[in-house]
Amino acid sequence: MRKSIIIAASIIIIVLAVAGWKIVFKPAAISVASQKADISIDAATLLHDFETNEKAANAKYLDKVILVTGTVEYIKTDSAGFTVYLTEDGVSGVLCSFDRNAVDSKIFRKGEKASVKGICSGYLMDVVLNKCSSE
Amino acid sequence: MKTNILVLIVLLLTPSVFAQKLISKNGHIRFYSHTPLEDIEADNNQVVSILDPSTGTIQFSLLVKSFEFKRALMQEHFNENYMESDKIPKAGFTGKITNLDKINLKKNGTYPAEVTGDLSIHGVTKSFSTSGTITVDRNSVRAVTKFSLVPKDFNIEIPSVVENKIAKEIEVNVDVTYSSD
Repeated sequence: MRKSIIIAASIIIIVLAVAGWKIVFKPAAISVASQKADISIDAATLLHDFETNEKAANAKYLDKVILVTGTVEYIKTDSAGFTVYLTEDGVSGVLCSFDRNAVDSKIFRKGEKASVKGICSGYLMDVVLNKCSSE
Repeated sequence: MKTNILVLIVLLLTPSVFAQKLISKNGHIRFYSHTPLEDIEADNNQVVSILDPSTGTIQFSLLVKSFEFKRALMQEHFNENYMESDKIPKAGFTGKITNLDKINLKKNGTYPAEVTGDLSIHGVTKSFSTSGTITVDRNSVRAVTKFSLVPKDFNIEIPSVVENKIAKEIEVNVDVTYSSD
């Protein structure tokens, strides 16, 4: 009887330890590919929301997975991956940051429409999306 | 915001009158925390910086949520417990290059640069000075610097449970390449 309690207790402790280890050391995902978009929106509307009331837009979009549609103005590679800049005739745009292993940058073409899914980090000169994936 | 657009419009309309400002939208800032127990690092590749060659005014701004960590839980703690990025989404620096007379942005070379100004992190603004280098290579201008910051100076409370895992001084590396468009 006592033995089985000890065995049961040890199993529970091991399971908890493994679960805890998995949570603490869980690697950050490289993209939101597996997540469903919370909001689907076009680049112009998203920008307009941030330009007119940044506070309200922060409350609405920060940390959300957003699917943005816009025209690719440029694609720029950097040390960590690449950035796709979506705009809709304006001086501001949506900066979409991709990990180099997330998707192939060649799927994006300058001047063509694209839909990008990413986590909204906020607004500086442009709206910034991190951990992007294409859709 | 509106002011950004105004700044851009002014920039676009007046390149012939004033020296053109240098802009970067994908500057890189990395920070390290080193302790015997744990090394933590995070990268932000969407740092915006504007350098005005005529006055030496230099600005940096970044979104705290754009820092990417190797582990998901670290990023969550950083945003929620330490930086409170929902309340304070941005950090930044506005200052001046004080030895601008010794830097020739039209001539290739590497120049030591002294910068002084105001640094805002976690809603706390402090006067701050550092030195770095500016490298001019054909059409590109690159600014690099490295300094240490103490979280406590910016009212960032580290709970005693994790005190030994987070360095007392955080090393910050800045690397920005400007273009003049």
